[in-house]
Order: sequence, then C-alpha cells, then structure tokens
Amino acid sequence: MASVLPLRLDESPFVVAAHGLEKRFGRQRALAGLELQVPEGAVYVLVGPNGAGKTTALKLLLDLLPADGGRAEVFGLDPYRAGPAVRARVGYVPERHDWGYGWMRVGRLLRHHATYFPAWDAAYAERLAHAFGIDPDRRVGQLSKGQARRVHLLMAMAHRPPLLLLDEPTDGLDPLARDATLGLLAEHLADAPTTVLISTHLVHEVERLADHVGVLRDGRLSAQLPLAMLHCGLRRYRADVPEDWAGAAGLNGAVLRRAGLGREIQWSVWGEEAEVVRQLAASGATVRDVAPLPLEDAVLALLSRKE
Amino acid sequence: MQLSINPADARPLYVQIMDEVRRARVLGTLRPDDALPSVRQLAAELRVNPNTVAQAYRELERDGVVYVRRGQGTFIAEAQVDGTARGILARGVAERALLDAHRHGLGAGELIEAIRALAREPATSNPGEP
Repeated sequence: MASVLPLRLDESPFVVAAHGLEKRFGRQRALAGLELQVPEGAVYVLVGPNGAGKTTALKLLLDLLPADGGRAEVFGLDPYRAGPAVRARVGYVPERHDWGYGWMRVGRLLRHHATYFPAWDAAYAERLAHAFGIDPDRRVGQLSKGQARRVHLLMAMAHRPPLLLLDEPTDGLDPLARDATLGLLAEHLADAPTTVLISTHLVHEVERLADHVGVLRDGRLSAQLPLAMLHCGLRRYRADVPEDWAGAAGLNGAVLRRAGLGREIQWSVWGEEAEVVRQLAASGATVRDVAPLPLEDAVLALLSRKE
Repeated sequence: MQLSINPADARPLYVQIMDEVRRARVLGTLRPDDALPSVRQLAAELRVNPNTVAQAYRELERDGVVYVRRGQGTFIAEAQVDGTARGILARGVAERALLDAHRHGLGAGELIEAIRALAREPATSNPGEP
C-alpha cells in the first residue's frame, strides 16, 4: 500500500495560491515549484526546517521579491502586477526587522504606519499596544527582538486585514508574551473573519490555532492537508514482531518513520488504520496499540520521510 | 469554570473541550441553565482557534448537553436521562485506561482486577466513591 500524502486541498475559494512558484538565489534553489493553497478563513501553518523556503514564499506573495517562475495569487490578484493592492489587504510580520526607521520613536512609527491603512482601528491599536506592553517612547532601533516582533504584530493586526502573513510570529517572544500573543490572535479571529498563513519551525507554539498544515522541504511541499485529516490518516502503530521477522512488505512506501526497541517496533504510517493493522497482522506482527500523533510528532514524521 | 486542554493529548482539541464541559457538568461545577463562556472568550482563554470552540459547542448541542438561546449564548441543558453523562464520561476514562493497559501488554481482565484491588485499599491516593 504505497501511500501518497495529500498535496491538494478541495476547499476553494483560496485566498492564497501558488502555482509552480520558483525562486533562485544564485545557484541556490529556494523555491522549486511551490504549490500552495490557503482556503478562505483557514489558519494555515507552513512548517519546515530552516532554509526550506518559508520566508521566501511569503515575500513572493507580497511581491517583496520577484519570482523566477510560476505565479502567485492573493485574493485572486497577481502580486507582481498588483503589489500595492495586495499589500493594502495584508498584515505582514516579517522574519527580520530591518526598520530603516531606527531613529524614530515607536509611537511615531505607528502613526506613520497608520496613515497607509484607511481601516486602521486606533482604539484597537491602543488596546493591542497595552496588551503587548509596547512603550511608544522607545526608539525603534533600540527594541529587542521580542519587542520588535510585538510592534510588528500590532502593525499587522490593527487594520484588521482579511489576510495575515506571519513569518515566525512567536520567534524571540518570552513564554509570557507568546502566550498573550496567541490569546490576542484567537480573539482577533473571533472578531473578524481572517485568513492566516503562519510560517514557523516551532509548530507546537501555534498548533492550537492551526487548522491546516503545509510541510515545506527543499522549496516544495511534501504534504498539504487539513489537520483533522492528518489526525485520522497518520497514526503510530506499535507491535511485537517474532524472531527473524521479515518485515511487512505490504507497508512499503507508507511508513514515514520506524523505530524499535528489542522485539517491539513502532511505525508512523500514513494510511487507513484497518488496512495498516491488517498488513501488520498478515506479516506476523502482533499490534499492541494504535494512536494518533501529536502535531509536532506528525510533522517530524512527515519531515523525516525519505523521498 | 476552568477548562484545561492539552495539545499532546491524542484526542482532538474540540473533543477535549467537549469532555471538559461534560466533566464540569458531572462534577456539578456547571449546572443546568448555567451559561458557557462565549466562543470568543473561551477561544482567547484557551488560545485555540474560535472554530474549534464553535465546533465543540455545536456537537455538545447536538448531543443535548447544551442549548443555544439566540443572541444570548450557550447554556447547560437539563440533565438527560439520569446517568447518561456519567456513563459517557466513565466510558472515556475506561477507554484511555484500557488503551494504556494494552500498550503495556496487559489484558482487560488484569486491568479490572488491578482496579478492584486498588479500590479496596484504604490508600490516601484513593478518595473513594464520590
């Protein structure tokens, strides 16, 4: 039972889509045919190791970088042709904080930023500033990483855009600030319909909010699916195997990860549970238990799969 | 009311929320006609997607555990046929214990015997019948 991990969602309309997106930096291929689909209203987590292309993907969606091939679509618009229209409807938290406004005080930066967004909600901005503990008198250039991240989150959220692109939003936040941020995001989602695309390599930090996941490896997705489907389709099986056990040939291609201690072997397998159990039993193994994986383990299994 | 959920738990988050509401009802911390927190409030408190809370409330309504009054919120329903909620809760606990037993190579009989023996002990860790 060779397994094919799902790569396409069937929940259109998609607020964000990438069709064979390509990007090179010199000889390095950062994106190699990315096919991304973010359904309207989803909280989509794009996970992957460092250097997988997450940040590049987000920048291409905003036309902060030109693509070398393929095409992106945000609200049905091509960011390359309609960059300003796209950016006006997106709240973006960049991975790095290259301000260029280091001399400015935070309060002035926020007023400056607000003028670009007619929908800026001053009262909400005030509330967020308070909740994030942002000091308007600080100079932007002197903010720590975590403080800068919170200023960016405020700037992204306060105009209540229909799409949030958050690049490592919890990176640099202390546990208290991270917890508060997740609470504010949950509230934000409850107050207005918002589609969210979060890139992170720390999936457990945002997993309570997420409902879709895309696993990015070497510039392309190796899986893209709703979390509910991942929960059902990917399970960990533990079984005792006899001496000289030859393996379960029927499972070839479906096993993402395998570990063993003595005669007990543990497999992470993508596939229908009854069928996997049947295959294991047919091979002579005694299945001891079957359990869904916590998201973080599921992502690890997906990432460790050999192509 | 304090609901607690754990992403490392094998149950999906919405099921955990449902179980927590059932638990609160069985324990009596939530009584018939008590209001549940709004979806927004509980989502913010638990740091979960509001859709997850809404799904849990929807399924609880379908199961007759809560009822919705339009514009006012979600409330705990009158207890159903006596013992149903307790039964579901007990079944859930038993299911998890049984799974754990299998994982340790134990059969149902051994588990039940151990529980019986444990319940007979006057240990401090055993608060006895509620």
